[in-house]
Amino acid sequence: MRTIAEINDKIQRQQAEVWTVEEVKARTPELGIAEVAQRVDVITTGTFEPMESSGAILNLGHTDPPIKIYQCWMDGVLAYAGFGAVDLYLGASQPAEYGGAGDPDPSDGTRDALRSPVRRRGGGHVIADLIAGKSVQVRAIGQVTDCYPRASLETTITRDTINQFYLYNPRNLYQNFIVGVNGGDRPLYTYLGCLQPRLGNAVYSNPGAIAPLFNDPYLDVIGIGSRVFLGGGIGYVAWEGTQHFPLQKRLPNDTPIGPAATLALIGDAKQMDPQWVRGCYFSSYGASLMLGVGVPLPVLNEEVVRRCTVQDSEIVAPVVDFSIPRRVRPTFGLVSYAQLKSGRLTMDGKTVRVAPLASLHLSRQVAIALKQWIDAGKFTLTTPVAPLPSDRTFLAQERISSQINLE
Amino acid sequence: MPVTYRLAKDFNVAANIIRAQVAPNQIGTLLVELSGDIDQLDAAMEWLRLQDIGISTLSREIQIDMESCVHCGLCTGICPTEALTLDSETWQLNFARSRCIVCEQCIPTCPVQAISTNL
Repeated sequence: MRTIAEINDKIQRQQAEVWTVEEVKARTPELGIAEVAQRVDVITTGTFEPMESSGAILNLGHTDPPIKIYQCWMDGVLAYAGFGAVDLYLGASQPAEYGGAGDPDPSDGTRDALRSPVRRRGGGHVIADLIAGKSVQVRAIGQVTDCYPRASLETTITRDTINQFYLYNPRNLYQNFIVGVNGGDRPLYTYLGCLQPRLGNAVYSNPGAIAPLFNDPYLDVIGIGSRVFLGGGIGYVAWEGTQHFPLQKRLPNDTPIGPAATLALIGDAKQMDPQWVRGCYFSSYGASLMLGVGVPLPVLNEEVVRRCTVQDSEIVAPVVDFSIPRRVRPTFGLVSYAQLKSGRLTMDGKTVRVAPLASLHLSRQVAIALKQWIDAGKFTLTTPVAPLPSDRTFLAQERISSQINLE
Repeated sequence: MPVTYRLAKDFNVAANIIRAQVAPNQIGTLLVELSGDIDQLDAAMEWLRLQDIGISTLSREIQIDMESCVHCGLCTGICPTEALTLDSETWQLNFARSRCIVCEQCIPTCPVQAISTNL
């Protein structure tokens, strides 16, 4: 039908027809797949959700005398330093370390401790602060060598005073996820927020039919090297994400019934926009990073459009009971995203309030922002350099150790 | 006059000082949260007025910083009175202040710390 080169040519002449995936879902029933595929060159998708498997690579630049960093904290958050001298990796979910003034003792569980601005921070906040142009305190201990004689360093950095600052996120863009509930009798503080006891609430974290990977279930038009919108800057698909599990069971429409494909993304953080990169914190769980990610889908054939017509009523997620603290938790079966977005769910004859964790509002805004970039000729598409694997199994870590025989 | 002492001693009212500006020979202001038996609270307020202390009451209110809010909606599943809801068209957060009972459960729930009280 058309090639990526032809699409890029139209983008550069600002003549490409770009629709958001919501427009495709709304208008295809009336126009028909063939007509939409004929008219539309690119379909934009987006999501805005917490992505805790994210992090930043930083190169500080050399001090005089130079230092080989052995341990390093950025605003009190430990950064990994096991690379060359001043290369660091700051993980989004690394918690800030405490003990400083103004840090109330959390063990008494008081409101003040929960609200402490120090305690509710982590790597995600430091990354977001740097992207927002704020300065960050660096404290480092060096391993003294003949070529790196400095033993310690205290300084302040901004994104403009360091060499490289890019996100490398090992696991972003889950293709579907789970719905969390709590069948136990005490509140649970999880990566889905607080789950109230006795099925008090349910939380889902994927924006559903508008989420990028629901619209390309077998990653036919997304691959390694695909250019994406990452945190308001330009990013690329670097690799399969960790826990990439394309072999997840699927419905007849090929969408997975639970967590499936994931992507590792990379992108220059110096160009990112604080609007799309937010540090976040889940009470009694920890810090994370909320990120806006947009993926353009080139309309290479009618199949691309057909995939994009999938609706919330046609995709499902498993309802998982977090009160069983095991790897495999009992489920209450599958529920459609249309049901989840209605805000109510019936379980065990009881009506349960349902809340999202992905921002449906900002997910939609990401797709619109990416459309505007393409309309303006600022963003062209890339042809993937390699496909993402379609046959990864999902291994569990079984303990291999000497067994004690009680018989 | 040891105001908070008298409140505690005579009326069994706990005074949690939130803000205070008190200097010698000047009019001072004290922002306090009072808790105790409702009748004793009334009596304590009456006593304060008799001491020529002007009182204006302020109730705790939930405030949402819409600059920080990302409209994730996590608070809407926690809010017991459904004062916090998501608009089903725009998916933006709505706050119906009249339904809010200021239980404050939304405050620690908010992952971006966009919710606070006015005190």
